[in-house]
Amino acid sequence: MTARTDAAERADRRRRRVPYLLMAPGLIWLFLFYVLPMFRLVITSLQEGSLERGYTFTGNFDSYASVFTTYLPQLRNSLLFAFGATVIGLLVAYPLAYAIAFHTSRWKTLFLLLIIVPLLVPFLLRTLAWRVILADQGLVVSFLKTIGLLSESGRLLSTGWAVLAGLVYNYLAFITLPIYISLDKIEPALLEAANDLYATPWTAFRKVTLPLSMPGIISGTLLTFIPAAGDYVNVELLGNRNWTMMGNVIQSKFLVIIDYPAAAAISFTLMAIIVTMVIIYVRRVGTEELLT
Amino acid sequence: MTTGPNSAAGETTPAVELVGLTKTFGDIVAVDGLTLDIAENLFFAIIGPSGCGKTTTLRMIGGFEEPTAGTIKLHGRDVTGTKPYQRPVNTVFQSYALFPHLTIFENVAFGLRRQGVDKTDVDRRVGDMLDLVHLAQTAKRKPRQLSGGQRQRVALARALVNHPRLLLLDEPLGALDLKLRKEMQLELKRIQQEVGITFIHVTHDQEEAMTMADAIAVMRNGRIERMGEPVEIYDDPRTRFVAGFLGASNLMDGTVTGTDEVTLTGGHTFHVGPDKLARANGAVHVGVRPEKIHLTPSGADPGHANSMAGVVTDSSFIGVSTHYLVQTETAGELTVVVQNLGATRFAPRDSVTLSWDPEHTFVVAE
Amino acid sequence: MKARVFYRTLLGFGIAYLFLPVFVVVAFSFNDLQGRRNVSWEGFTLRHWAEPFKITGLSDAVLNSLTIAFLSALISTILGTLIALALVRYRFRGRSATNLMLFLPMASPEVVTGSALLTLFIVAQVGRGYMTVLLAHILFNLSYTVVTVRARIVGFDRHLEEAAMDLYANEWQTFRRVTLPMIMPGVLAAFMLAFALSFDDFVITNFNSGSLQTFPIFVYGATKRGVPPQVNVLGTMIFVAMVVATTVFLVVQGRRKKAEP
Repeated sequence: MTARTDAAERADRRRRRVPYLLMAPGLIWLFLFYVLPMFRLVITSLQEGSLERGYTFTGNFDSYASVFTTYLPQLRNSLLFAFGATVIGLLVAYPLAYAIAFHTSRWKTLFLLLIIVPLLVPFLLRTLAWRVILADQGLVVSFLKTIGLLSESGRLLSTGWAVLAGLVYNYLAFITLPIYISLDKIEPALLEAANDLYATPWTAFRKVTLPLSMPGIISGTLLTFIPAAGDYVNVELLGNRNWTMMGNVIQSKFLVIIDYPAAAAISFTLMAIIVTMVIIYVRRVGTEELLT
Repeated sequence: MTTGPNSAAGETTPAVELVGLTKTFGDIVAVDGLTLDIAENLFFAIIGPSGCGKTTTLRMIGGFEEPTAGTIKLHGRDVTGTKPYQRPVNTVFQSYALFPHLTIFENVAFGLRRQGVDKTDVDRRVGDMLDLVHLAQTAKRKPRQLSGGQRQRVALARALVNHPRLLLLDEPLGALDLKLRKEMQLELKRIQQEVGITFIHVTHDQEEAMTMADAIAVMRNGRIERMGEPVEIYDDPRTRFVAGFLGASNLMDGTVTGTDEVTLTGGHTFHVGPDKLARANGAVHVGVRPEKIHLTPSGADPGHANSMAGVVTDSSFIGVSTHYLVQTETAGELTVVVQNLGATRFAPRDSVTLSWDPEHTFVVAE
Repeated sequence: MKARVFYRTLLGFGIAYLFLPVFVVVAFSFNDLQGRRNVSWEGFTLRHWAEPFKITGLSDAVLNSLTIAFLSALISTILGTLIALALVRYRFRGRSATNLMLFLPMASPEVVTGSALLTLFIVAQVGRGYMTVLLAHILFNLSYTVVTVRARIVGFDRHLEEAAMDLYANEWQTFRRVTLPMIMPGVLAAFMLAFALSFDDFVITNFNSGSLQTFPIFVYGATKRGVPPQVNVLGTMIFVAMVVATTVFLVVQGRRKKAEP
């Protein structure tokens, strides 16, 4: 039995290095601008001081405590809105995705495009447009007043409902598309088999379609919940002071009232809470490919 | 394990020399210490069941897999560890692997261009090659516009135009329908002989291999179990596995009871051709190929030295021949194939006598 | 049949809902407003379209957004393609860790990513401006480009690269003549996605822009004072341009798709 030559060994070792070389630039970037900042965030959150005097690392956990004392309402708002937007979004998106997957035959791509196209209008402009649509003199408010859902002096703008509406709208495409992709993967033959085995359309949906669309539901809800929990623009443009979210606090503490340690602590806490919830959620529901 | 130089190797450097070639994927040993010489200008086939390592071996010769151990020499030059583009070998892939974004002409010209052949030569050689495979009129089309058979020929042309001294074929005919496959088998053989280079063809279809190959290696579990010319390994398989892989084998258990005599466990005695028992002793298996057995009605003179009684249990008319299953007392159920020459055909429940010449009895180990 | 009608109607409502704000944005670029607030309809006019670049701050901001979008899309697509190639074609240790690291930025809220980057820049005493925004954009685009290109690479016959090498092309030639043309649609899609994401980004940019203005930042700042209609005009122009680009891309892709065996 002959052994490998030296040349073969060296060639082999060179070959094994290739993937690492390919990924190096990108991964270094990721490390520098994502991983490192996260560490930085934690360190900053444990500092004390002010902008004038400078900051020193003290290992002070006070900032974290403040999250749960002073900013509990914002935390509650963030989670509430995120949760609400996700649930409502799901209820709206699922039928849409279902309609595109099963009832549009030749025009599928067109409809998919139509879902994506509105996203090409800048986020801020879209949200501002809702200010116009939900304006006090606008059609929507007038309509709701006419049918009695809104009192005479009622408004939609500057209420929690407007914020919710904005959030649902902005993230709708992000729920619809993953669900669509999951539904599209289902072979028609599966549903025919279900019918052949005595399942009614509703049962077939419950027992075949719904479970098979779970990966899409999971991706979609995650893609909505996570950004929504950190949002602050919708509140600023459509809501009022009572509804501020964690995002607003973070933004103000970083950019307006400069208080880096507190801001960092709040930011990190938000992240930790979200990650924990995601892990629990994902583990309960089961993962396959989160990266569709 | 039967190894060693191919019968035609002779004095000249073999086209391919594999020494101790091994490939493992984690715990799985795909190729196990393979040693093999393949002579020049041979149509060589490697056959075996799925997972026997034949494709892995081919890929190592082509340079697409790195051997875990062992060496590969092509025309005397050690190429172990070199890249595919450094080897004077070309491959016809199972899926053809035609470049979808290039025209047929550009596909065939690809290798020539990489080698820096100048433009006029490229045009001429590609043109000639397309003529050889009867596809000149498709030069400007894209692969998607061609049928499976046409794509197969393009893949062949693309490889041959580079004048490799060795051509590797990885089950290239698998996707074709039966008639086309048979045509291509003859076509490939013709081209090989005309061009005069070595072909190594991997296939799981033993019939295909026997049609085309000058020499066949039968692989199992990463090793070569039997190698030789088609006739030789068919009539003298030497192992139970090879016997079964190359066709129905009608194996029977018995013991050696004389220099050319074997007695079956049930009591029947057969004669075996001279020297067949030279290596065997004690318990053996003997077999006879289905087409070598003659059937005569019970009681009539069998006409051949070895004979036994049996009852037909099944008869299938195939057109060219009739396939019978005959149940015997001591040797189990035997398969018999009789050419339809107009003689009486037997039906289930007929009593018959099976008979054959001692020379046609083969002995297998294990 | 009834089901089909029901679903089509549903879709109709859904699409209408999605397009309502789009319609408003476009429509209000023609609004003949007298005051500063572009909130209610006051009449049709074309004068804003006649001078879309009137407001210098706005035009500069748009220019910044365009250049940053282009550069960050370009760089992140290149880096992302390399990573995607490595992930799909090679087996190596740390593959799942890499996958995770790529997934995290997509899964983090922008507030957190943006603020974390800010703390890094503060400590490194890097002034916030064009460069920091560019760096940040390349970062968050990276995950998306990897995912997009990867989807394309996965569906592509691996034997094609072996065939090229069998035909005397070395690794670089194989990449240039076989791999790259084959994955180009994915690469282009990644570029366009990255461009759109970058142009539209507000939160991360907000945290890291210092005094630099990009289009979304300008708009945000203007919401208090009153958003000038030029914003709608330019916004509509960009929107139309992107829609056209996407449509062209998809049409060309559709024709090529029928080409593949």
